[in-house]
Amino acid sequence: LTVRRILTILCLAAIVFLTVATRLLQLPFIDRTEAVRTLVRNPDRAWPDYPIFLEGVREHTSPGDSIAIIVPAMKWDGGYSYAYYRASYFLAGREVLPLITEQDARLMQNFRGAKYVAVFGVGLRTPADVVWRGSRGALLRLRPR
Amino acid sequence: MIAILIAILSLAVLGIPIVLAIDRRARGPLLVGTAFLYGSGTMFVVLLTLSIAHIRWTLLSVTIASLLIFCAAFAVRWKAASSEMSSTTPHALDLVTIFTIVCYTLYATLTAVWEWDFWAIWGLKARTFLELGAIDWRFLESRWNTFAHAGYPLLVPLNYDFVALINGGWNDRWLGLLGIASAVALALVARSLAARETTPFFASLLTLIVVSLGFSRFVGLAEGALIAFGGAGVLFVRSALRDGDDVAWRHAALMLGFAANCKNEGFALLAAVTIAIAAISWKALRKLVPAYVLAAPWLILRTVHTLPTDVAEGPATSRLLARLPYTPQILNYLAQQISRPWFWIAIFAGILIAPAALRRREHFVFVVTATQFLFYLLVYLATPYELHWLVLSSWSRLTAQMAVPITFAVFLMLANSLRDAQDAPHAEAGSDQ
Repeated sequence: LTVRRILTILCLAAIVFLTVATRLLQLPFIDRTEAVRTLVRNPDRAWPDYPIFLEGVREHTSPGDSIAIIVPAMKWDGGYSYAYYRASYFLAGREVLPLITEQDARLMQNFRGAKYVAVFGVGLRTPADVVWRGSRGALLRLRPR
Repeated sequence: MIAILIAILSLAVLGIPIVLAIDRRARGPLLVGTAFLYGSGTMFVVLLTLSIAHIRWTLLSVTIASLLIFCAAFAVRWKAASSEMSSTTPHALDLVTIFTIVCYTLYATLTAVWEWDFWAIWGLKARTFLELGAIDWRFLESRWNTFAHAGYPLLVPLNYDFVALINGGWNDRWLGLLGIASAVALALVARSLAARETTPFFASLLTLIVVSLGFSRFVGLAEGALIAFGGAGVLFVRSALRDGDDVAWRHAALMLGFAANCKNEGFALLAAVTIAIAAISWKALRKLVPAYVLAAPWLILRTVHTLPTDVAEGPATSRLLARLPYTPQILNYLAQQISRPWFWIAIFAGILIAPAALRRREHFVFVVTATQFLFYLLVYLATPYELHWLVLSSWSRLTAQMAVPITFAVFLMLANSLRDAQDAPHAEAGSDQ
């Protein structure tokens, strides 16, 4: 055995081990219930009811409807971006409108222009008809002023 | 779950005549691996074409369009000239690979796809398009949807739409299986190519490595498809350069073209491959024409619809020039944040240990990898985003994208250096005869 051959064997072994060895290989032998629970809860851990609320909004709106989103966190990096992105996914096919920009500036034109306002976890003092209520929120249709 | 299994099987079946039209010799792992990849890429082309033609996506319209392609490819197949067949030999080590795939499958299907980027980018687009039965350009053009990275290519979302059409509606519970299928397809391609150069033992060991590198832990994102198409593309170019094989060139060009339709990094890979080939042979560049033909439609559509590309937003050159003096610090930060650092050290050690003659044969892969790295560095220098955040959120994915071809090359250099030179070429083919 030359030094080069020994180094080659060690290097090959290292490549194989460092590539293949992963905790995922334990998956068949462990209880995966907790991992599943964590993954399911993780995206919505702050507001577990939010996806259920969005499903309700989806059921009570039609493709193409515009929906503005109001949640307790009205700061972009303080939770609004999550609420807006999450709503975009659950309400695919509808036009989901944000009410603040990434710089936390208000977008009143979206509030006024939306057909519906989906309000989650807060109240809204404005003239509106309640289309549906449930899961800590309501779907409102604004009355023309 | 049944729907996605039917979808994966349908894509593979759709791909078979396409593979055979390209490569009459294809059998076994090469046929199965490339069939799924071609099926996946072709389904993207079908849905994109239907959308451009304003034909609503339904199971019927997609099936008719796919059958037309299936029959056309089948006709071409029968006109193709017959030539020798390639083969591979199973090895006991393949059982470990199968076990690894089972573990990855369990991980990818723990629950519905959970990644943030899935429901904010890839899954969001697929679900939105499904509602319309076509690509929703209004959604992509909307200023409120820039977070969804409207300029990203659409191969993966349109594959999700195909699954949804078979399912009869949107369901993200089992979509992680598409990533598994991509990793397995890449591993099968790698197995077939490795078998031409080394023993069944080393080919089998390399398959295990490739399936591990090919499986993206970022379930639901386009990484898995990009690694599969891009990895297969680079390995086919490598094979073509080694053997002067026109069939390998065809596979390479098509795979790279589909890679460019997975992510913007696929375009970068195509450019890196072009540069690497140009450094070897200008004449060979024309072999890449199909790749650019496949990449062109999305580039044109993206321009026509003025979809934003985040790295090019605003004064990209100014940002690049402003960060350029900090390149050493950025490189240092990338080194600190690299995932699997010992793996990369082993790869670099392997390059140094391997005999110079074998190293020279792998120049193409080294140049491609180095050029990819250079492109990624340029993106980091020019990005409009906060640099530390971008590195933390992307660097591990980018290194995973680069890993397969260079690992394949280094592994074969080392493995073949352990064997007598006379056994090295076509060892497995020889053992079958």
